[in-house]
Amino acid sequence: MRIVKSVQTKVCVDGSLMKEYVLDEPLTEEFLEFLKHFGTLRFMEHLKKPYFSFEQEYFISIKGFAGDANVEVRYNKNFQDLLADYFHLLLYYGRQGVPGVVKMNGIVQSIRDRMKIRLDAD
Amino acid sequence: MKITHVSQDENSPIVYLNNAATTWPKPRGVLREVSRCLRMPLNEPGRTTGNGSTDYPAAARESLAALFNTGPPDHFVFTHNATDALNLLIHGFVKHAGAPFHAITTELEHNSVLRPLHALETGGAITLSVVPFTGCTVDPAAIKKAIREDTRLVVMTHGSNVLGSVQQIRPIAEYLHASGIFFIVDGAQTAGHIPIDLSDIPVDAFAFTGHKALFGIPGIGGFYLRDKDSIAITRQGGTGTDSRSLSHPDEMPMRFEAGTPNYPGIASLYAGVRFISTTGPERIEKRGKKLTACLIRELQKQEHVEIYNTAPDLPLVSFNITGLGNDEAGFILAKAYRVIMRTGLHCAPLVHDRIDGGQGCIRASFSYFNTADDCRRAADAIREVAQGAHR
Repeated sequence: MRIVKSVQTKVCVDGSLMKEYVLDEPLTEEFLEFLKHFGTLRFMEHLKKPYFSFEQEYFISIKGFAGDANVEVRYNKNFQDLLADYFHLLLYYGRQGVPGVVKMNGIVQSIRDRMKIRLDAD
Repeated sequence: MKITHVSQDENSPIVYLNNAATTWPKPRGVLREVSRCLRMPLNEPGRTTGNGSTDYPAAARESLAALFNTGPPDHFVFTHNATDALNLLIHGFVKHAGAPFHAITTELEHNSVLRPLHALETGGAITLSVVPFTGCTVDPAAIKKAIREDTRLVVMTHGSNVLGSVQQIRPIAEYLHASGIFFIVDGAQTAGHIPIDLSDIPVDAFAFTGHKALFGIPGIGGFYLRDKDSIAITRQGGTGTDSRSLSHPDEMPMRFEAGTPNYPGIASLYAGVRFISTTGPERIEKRGKKLTACLIRELQKQEHVEIYNTAPDLPLVSFNITGLGNDEAGFILAKAYRVIMRTGLHCAPLVHDRIDGGQGCIRASFSYFNTADDCRRAADAIREVAQGAHR
């Protein structure tokens, strides 16, 4: 899965940056299972379209419909620069299964370290 | 978790319930008038030798004066929208008043009122009291109680864009008028939705926007000002009249209008007001109330839905689905059910601080063109999402 285009960008009420992406294929069950390793996944399947939302505290949140190629991604307002590529990385490593989880955990830790340095400096 | 392919229903009709932000669709007559306005050279008195088409500004002022039952049509001034009108009025009044003074507003206000007043307060031009609401309205007695010896200005909304409550501006206006305190009313949410007779209510200025219930296109609004000299001129420029003079004209409405007007916007407003007058403001109000009552009745049957005003005067319903953020609920309703509403703070942060802890809510708002079927489809969708969030 990869991003084909970004169709909308806006600043949300809480100051976070929201981007709506169109992917080259619908989100898969495997990708949503992959996300569970990094945050909380909510799945509401008894709707007209099965809805999911993913929340990784201090990082990003994602919402969309399973089987749909459009997603909305929100980036934490305090760390937008550190998280600019984060969704791309999730999509990339999501394809790799377990090795991807290991790789992604390393990236998460690296970003956390930089977040901590910034917070300590503040 | 089992993912099945999602069928796309991009061609199914949308249910548009965001009319408190911008009405859609517009009456056919509005679309025709805008098209007609742009097909012919503009009739710009003082700016062209041609005069073959309609003088839209004059026609629109006359129709507004008739709709609101006011005095001279020339006391209607065109602006970009209600926010622009309120900025002109508030800053113009402060400039006219000169020395710092005390002003009053309410918790129900939109940022179009709160932000100009806050900027003036921060700059030391005014001190400001914000009167809280009780229930869904501001008690006139609370306004009276907030008045001080140095109070010169009260700015308040006629109708809350979150709670849908119409404020009792008549007793407030009468008291303020007798006390010599300037009263600006923000009519963005009421103009077009309910009958308004300004001959009967002594407000000093009434701001409105064209793109909501007056059925104009975005980019046109205005205000009615009873006494032109109560507001200082804050904009100068070309008016097409008295061009030899380097001073901006003092006559209404040029006193507050500089530069080429938004003719297509004014044409749309003219046609929108004509639609309201032809249809009848009472009939429009009745239909809005019926649709609103229908949605409230349906939502009240539903667990996990919290409604913030179950008896609104305006055709809007603000609510939340417990256990689901308003932005998520709005996202699902729009993308999966094609029911369009507005989520978040609705530019009225102080109301939300009181009703939902500042988290915001979902607002469904009707226009004359919504149907009972829209109401049912919206209620069914909300019910399904609320149930889905609690499975």
